Amino acid sequence: MSDAAISVLTNIGMISFVGLSAWVLLTVGCVSFGQQAFFGLGAYAAGIGTAVWQWPLLLALPFGALVGALAAALLGAMTLRLHGLYFSIATFAFAECCRIGFELFSYRTTRDGEPIGPDGVEGFGEIRAVFEAGFTATDQLTLVWLLLALAVSLLIAVERTRHGIRARMVGEDPVAAALHGVDVAHVRLAAATVAGALAGLGGGLYAHLTTYIEPRLFDAMLGVHALAYGLIGGLGTAIGPVLGAALDIGLLESTRWFSGSRMIVFGGLVAVLIILRPRGLLDEAAVRRIANLFHARARPRHG
Amino acid sequence: MTPLIDVVQVSIDGVMTGSGYALLALGFTLMFGVMRRLNLSFGAALMLGAYAAGWLHLHAGFGALAVAATTVVVATLAGVYIERLCFAPLRGRDAIASLVSSFAVWMQLEELATLMLPRHTNAFPALMDGDPFLFGPFHVRPDQIVMLVIAVALMLLVWLTLHRTRAGLALRVLADQPGAALAVGIDIRSTALMTFAAASALGGIAAFLILAGDRQVTPMFGMWATTKGLIAMMLGGLGSIPGAVVGGLALGLIEAHAQWRLGPQGRDLLAYALLFLCLVWRPGGLFGQTLADTEATARARL
Repeated sequence: MSDAAISVLTNIGMISFVGLSAWVLLTVGCVSFGQQAFFGLGAYAAGIGTAVWQWPLLLALPFGALVGALAAALLGAMTLRLHGLYFSIATFAFAECCRIGFELFSYRTTRDGEPIGPDGVEGFGEIRAVFEAGFTATDQLTLVWLLLALAVSLLIAVERTRHGIRARMVGEDPVAAALHGVDVAHVRLAAATVAGALAGLGGGLYAHLTTYIEPRLFDAMLGVHALAYGLIGGLGTAIGPVLGAALDIGLLESTRWFSGSRMIVFGGLVAVLIILRPRGLLDEAAVRRIANLFHARARPRHG
Repeated sequence: MTPLIDVVQVSIDGVMTGSGYALLALGFTLMFGVMRRLNLSFGAALMLGAYAAGWLHLHAGFGALAVAATTVVVATLAGVYIERLCFAPLRGRDAIASLVSSFAVWMQLEELATLMLPRHTNAFPALMDGDPFLFGPFHVRPDQIVMLVIAVALMLLVWLTLHRTRAGLALRVLADQPGAALAVGIDIRSTALMTFAAASALGGIAAFLILAGDRQVTPMFGMWATTKGLIAMMLGGLGSIPGAVVGGLALGLIEAHAQWRLGPQGRDLLAYALLFLCLVWRPGGLFGQTLADTEATARARL
């Protein structure tokens, strides 16, 4: 593979985490415009872990996920009782507060005589743990996609359990779910926490593989893209947001076909898809049809 | 100058800025009141209008009045486009679908605008030059006074249209009793389209007045207009016209003082934190319905 292809694929993998994070909330019927905040919090937390506190990467990445999960649980406890539009706007306001918070956040120390750590709007550079450990570009690609595959498989596995069914019920119709004895608030809080952890993990990867982060990376546009990935790719399966990210980053951003008008194409695509396929390309019906194909092959029909 | 004079001067500036916010919130509130939908690409539509006008100012030497007219016309057209693409086909669907769709169109309009004028700052003609008026120790710029007067006049005009004309009556019926509106033969499609066009025209006037005061337009304007309008509307209460005015003025005052004491980042942080707390503690806003009412109407509409 060429270097450019590896870098595009790595990028798709990292951004898929924030898409997956928004997707988890979408499946329980919550539209968050603020998952970029947890991506940012995870990036800063994991980056500080290795660069400032000199933790090993294996500790820093889970730490980023933990910070994302805690912040998301806190935000969820405050906002999840809000109705539809109000919840979306509240998550957006929270994420913008976080972004400005990053601009105001400085935590500088020296390492080997060089200053290091987040420096407000100047950003946070020299997060070099992955490079110092000697990871090649292919190693990085493998690391990102292994973790992503793990996350997607876990989500698909959870879908088959009692918890997954409860989550789908809440997403389908919270009132009916409550009548069937499902604790809607509890399910949504759990989903928000998982979503925060996923975004935080992705943020930690992003900080280490790009070695430099700055507050404006975590602006509303990232959040909206994350949301759009799930809506384009499909709400039927956790592969949906990955497909959405691959379409946007792989097809629109990285090829020259749409250079200069990527947003016009992408925005139009999202708007038209919402009209034509409200639950995305891989919606529940499509997922069932694909699953049936495999079943048919395993057990050929008689007669 | 003594501190008290500073406080008053900052408050005057805050009210002047706030009148612009109030106009933006008024446009938002008109659309929300009728459709119970949020149009997030409102700011992007205004930005496209301002950029088209800025382009003509740069390349064809358009003066202030022609620029104002262009801003309003293009913003209105963009508003109609948004309604047709994001709201008309999704009527009867969840409010969120339109919200997300309007955000997608935001990206389109913003990129279209920056393709026209790729530079970060673009000149915008001033409404008028002239020395600030002095009232004792306080000074006020003449274009600020014009903005305040136009803002008050437009608010009165909106109120009169809603309460004294047939179109306004149709609009209010649609907002309060969509079922009854259908029964008495009000055309929902055209009323919704008219509302979006009127709100975008209103926003276009606001955008022109604000940008003429700044004498420049940047790619940040779309985001800026959407968030300021949104925060002002949420502070005052969703769908309430007096609420939009009070919310806009309150936001202007709060921001002016926050900027003075805490700097620009502190100002923005405070505005977003206020929006967040307002939603968490009092989702109906100062003048709006209570949450229970809003939810009840929302469910009735579904």
